[in-house]
Amino acid sequence: MSNMTTLSPGWAPNPCGARRRRKDRVATILGMIAAGILVLVLTSILWTLLARGIVGLSAGALFKPMGPPGSGGGLANAILGSVIQTAMALAMATPLGLGCGIYLSEYGSKQNRFASCVRFVSDVLMSVPSILVGLFVYQVLVAPFGHFSAFAGSVALAILAVPIIVRTTEDMLRLVPVSMREAGAALGATRWRVTLFLCLRSAKTGVLTGILLALARVSGETAPLLFTSLGNQNWSFSLNHPMASLPVTIYQYAGASYDDWVQLAWAGALLVTLGVLAINIAVRFSARRG
Amino acid sequence: MNETKPQVALAVRNLNFYYGQNHALHDISIDFPARKVTAMIGPSGCGKSTLLRIFNRMYDLYPGQRATGEVIFDGRNILETGLDLNILRARIGMVFQKPTPFPMSIYDNIAFGVRLHERLNKADMDVRVQDVLTRVALWNEVRDRLNAPAAGLSGGQQQRLCIARSIATRPEVLLLDEPTSALDPISTARIEELLDELKEEFTIAIVTHNMQQAARCADQVAFFYMGRLIEVDAADRIFTNPKQQQTQDYITGRFG
Repeated sequence: MSNMTTLSPGWAPNPCGARRRRKDRVATILGMIAAGILVLVLTSILWTLLARGIVGLSAGALFKPMGPPGSGGGLANAILGSVIQTAMALAMATPLGLGCGIYLSEYGSKQNRFASCVRFVSDVLMSVPSILVGLFVYQVLVAPFGHFSAFAGSVALAILAVPIIVRTTEDMLRLVPVSMREAGAALGATRWRVTLFLCLRSAKTGVLTGILLALARVSGETAPLLFTSLGNQNWSFSLNHPMASLPVTIYQYAGASYDDWVQLAWAGALLVTLGVLAINIAVRFSARRG
Repeated sequence: MNETKPQVALAVRNLNFYYGQNHALHDISIDFPARKVTAMIGPSGCGKSTLLRIFNRMYDLYPGQRATGEVIFDGRNILETGLDLNILRARIGMVFQKPTPFPMSIYDNIAFGVRLHERLNKADMDVRVQDVLTRVALWNEVRDRLNAPAAGLSGGQQQRLCIARSIATRPEVLLLDEPTSALDPISTARIEELLDELKEEFTIAIVTHNMQQAARCADQVAFFYMGRLIEVDAADRIFTNPKQQQTQDYITGRFG
């Protein structure tokens, strides 16, 4: 082959080479600067949170309920309230979101009008301002009954969580190869069995990731809770009554003129952030295992 | 039907198939002899996989695909509406080109199909699993890790698992759609050996691009071209003395 006549310049330098290398370097540096800014912003937020929050993060803050300024109150009832309301919200949003996602991926082809409609509505719902969701739930579940309630708060959070679960469930199920569905059908399995035991099972980690992402999203939401579960100074376990939550408490305390409340607000903010961080790490972990 | 010919497992008569407006199979008539291997050969897009997917009504999964004509299986036209597809698919099993292990253990991969059609207790299920895995020569390789995920098996092992899974529901016919095209030569050889044993019990229809494979495994060979059945004959005759020029050209590699 070596005696073939060829137009190849061999190892001669490419005339455009220097300019391309320069451009390449500029692009790399610009990218690195952008990434650097992003990391800087995030670390400064986290640093401020950590520095200010850790001071207020005492055993009292974690285990005592809220109290009047100067009384040494904590955040315990708000923490519990947040856990109860997000758990309730997920309990409502998960079946609905899963069912809807399954419908869209398995039964709602692109040509199906109704499915396209559902997909569109779900996507719109994902970007609706959360305060609107709060107002809506206020109109439906608070105003008619004449009182705020933890249940209304959970419903508002659930409305925010559903579209996230729908979208990830549909996307993850669509990643399951057609051959899996055909192999199931070829054994004589009915469609729902194929969907539930084969497709959903192989998309398990992705779907779980979606649910955790929804959890992370709603656990820091304040606006939907303002007019629904309102907040509560005391322990409350009743879904039929106002219930405290971390984000709302942060909102109330951060603007207060009492130093101990402000400090508790920082501690609460740190707690929420740590919680979301933990969920995100869990997502990473589950995604890697899958 | 003629009672003296129970030797035919599948009788195809004047079969036409359409993908929407596209007329993919033209007037196919062919018999699949019971407990024999029939290989379907032909260039890509000639309709051989399409024909295979008619036999278990796979095309029903997709709107816009339809078949006319007759495919007689056990005295019934399987194309007729109202036929219980899940029973049909239990009686006519299929193995695909790419191994498709289910996202569960090796044991459950087999049990999944069986549970759809039979209620077996644990002991009977164990026997069934061991039986089919032995028949696909996989038992000794996986007996210690039946509860391990099937995805951890090699490609060849996965494909043998898929065959085991198909025969576990005790079908009468086994459809194989290029079952070895994604496998290495050694795995391919094992599956070809397997076919020889399986045909004592099952009627086998296999689609293949590999002429040697057709020659080695098949009793009967059908050559398809452009959606038409050009020629069908005993394997030794079709490879040594084909009647049609197109068949001759194809098997000698002059086109396709």
